[in-house]
Amino acid sequence: MAFLEARNLHKTYRLSRSNHVRALRGVDVTVESGEMVGIMGPSGCGKSTLMHILGLLHSPDFDTDAPPSLVIDGTDVTEIEDRERTRMRAERMGFVFQFFNLVPTLTALENVALPAEYAGRRKSNARAAGMEALRQVGLEDRAGHRPNELSGGQQQRAAIARALVTRPALLLADEPTGNLDSENTEEVMALLHWFNRERGQTIVLVTHDTRVSEACSRVLTMRDGVITNGHDALAS
Amino acid sequence: MLRSLARRKLRTTLTVLGITVGIWALMVMSAMANKLTALVDGGSTYFDNKIVVSDATNPAFGFGLVPMPVEVVDVVAGIPGVAVAAPRVQFLLDPNDTGSGFGAPDFVVGFKAGFDQGYETFGSEIAQGREMTLADEGKLVVMLGADLARKFDVAPGDAFEIRGEQFEVIGVREPTLMFFDTTAVIPWAIGQELLVRDEALEIESGAEAPVLTSMVITYPEPGADYRAIMRAIGEALPQTRTVTGEDFDDQFGSTIAIFNAIILSVALISIVVGGLSVINTMTMSVTERTREIGIKRAIGASRGRIMSELVWEAGLMGLVGGLVGLGLAGVVIYFANDAGQTSGTILFLMTPWIGALGVSFSTVLGAVAGALPAWNAARLDPVEALRYG
Repeated sequence: MAFLEARNLHKTYRLSRSNHVRALRGVDVTVESGEMVGIMGPSGCGKSTLMHILGLLHSPDFDTDAPPSLVIDGTDVTEIEDRERTRMRAERMGFVFQFFNLVPTLTALENVALPAEYAGRRKSNARAAGMEALRQVGLEDRAGHRPNELSGGQQQRAAIARALVTRPALLLADEPTGNLDSENTEEVMALLHWFNRERGQTIVLVTHDTRVSEACSRVLTMRDGVITNGHDALAS
Repeated sequence: MLRSLARRKLRTTLTVLGITVGIWALMVMSAMANKLTALVDGGSTYFDNKIVVSDATNPAFGFGLVPMPVEVVDVVAGIPGVAVAAPRVQFLLDPNDTGSGFGAPDFVVGFKAGFDQGYETFGSEIAQGREMTLADEGKLVVMLGADLARKFDVAPGDAFEIRGEQFEVIGVREPTLMFFDTTAVIPWAIGQELLVRDEALEIESGAEAPVLTSMVITYPEPGADYRAIMRAIGEALPQTRTVTGEDFDDQFGSTIAIFNAIILSVALISIVVGGLSVINTMTMSVTERTREIGIKRAIGASRGRIMSELVWEAGLMGLVGGLVGLGLAGVVIYFANDAGQTSGTILFLMTPWIGALGVSFSTVLGAVAGALPAWNAARLDPVEALRYG
């Protein structure tokens, strides 16, 4: 059984009564455990929308001819409640964003420890896990620094540490190198690779950058809300 | 949480200040209302088991400033249902006291020790010195209420002047929060003498001074019908008026209740303004932190967690505002009461209960005021929130 299996994902944003945007028009995706899958495509093709649905931040449309289906790590999450979605995000998923999205008032360590706290760990336990994650991304000496005291590359490494502090089964990264220079891009990709290879963490990332997509074990291409390079290479 | 508040120092300070002013007003006003209520409650308790008979021309509620011939005591004592009827003289310590103070004016009261024959249920403890006894009759001794002793800075053994005579202070009472605190008690015979002198009666040569009484303190027998006794006194002595606990409550209770309601309403308006400033601050804070809330939601913070974070933050502002308000109110009340001691105008009665209630109230107010913005924040779509700013 695949680690992640999505079928018939549609998403329409109703901006006004007459203005609807169909971001996804029937996407099927299968990701095996331990894969590192890249999703590429032009702006507005629905990559981020797909990530939001896979990351349980949004729900797919249900008023479609064929019902949607989303199964992650053996759990059918298609129609689960917000509380359950939140718990899944805290315990079994990690997120990396283009603009790092660290909480500005918290130190690097406090930022990294947050998901562990949200997953129900004691504060001291969460901080210990946070420190270990910072060590793995080479930022243990920056633990007490706030985000504005870190470089862009360091901030993204801290964000990766935050995404992986709970050792989630799935890491979702939306343009993780989109705001970094070449050197930092290489560092970040090396880190993601390491976690994928050494820890066996499944990674799905959205990118515009071909150097990033080349590092992935498989690349899906999207256009106009559908995946265009076959449903996905592995499944076919 | 503290860092979130500290990040917006000016706004947090202004919000806390808004709550502080509200809580300060609430506590000061509550202390004032408390003082009034204590005064009235004490009076109500005092009048509860007795009927006070005084001259009908008295300008005020049974204060007996217009004296009566002492013969009225025997008339009252003879009325069926009356267990004890005892005379009592009462006059202002300072004849020029206009009574414009906030509490009761300073009184001098003269009666025989043990006059009540055990019927008096209102008790007050002795703080210093001793109680007056029958052996003190005819002596220039005085027992002072707590406020009077403090106002004139005297203790047992000290001299205390009443109408030009030097009295020896033999005891000081514990505070009762009512008119006893501003009362000097002297023996009946001495009081009688001063009252006659005070009345400036023209006594013909060789004639004895008339014996006067300001009031007749009447204790009905247990189970007696107070109203029937009062009617009988009115029929026997039409020139008198009678008051009992019910009349006291009617006269002062409702007035004080209205007064208290007005001053507490003013304070509550201040509190509402404080609460609105918390809502404003938290709404702005939530707007500014939309992205941060989106991040937290995305990485696994539940709606309840987001909401509780913000509600705690608002509650903390309320707590700090309440504590600062309590401190300021304490300072103001201390200095106002201290300044009022010389004039006998003790305006405020602050109790730990008022302080605890005020601080709890401000904390809850902050939390409640922060709940709506927090609820809105918790319902934000994480993806939309992440795009904010």
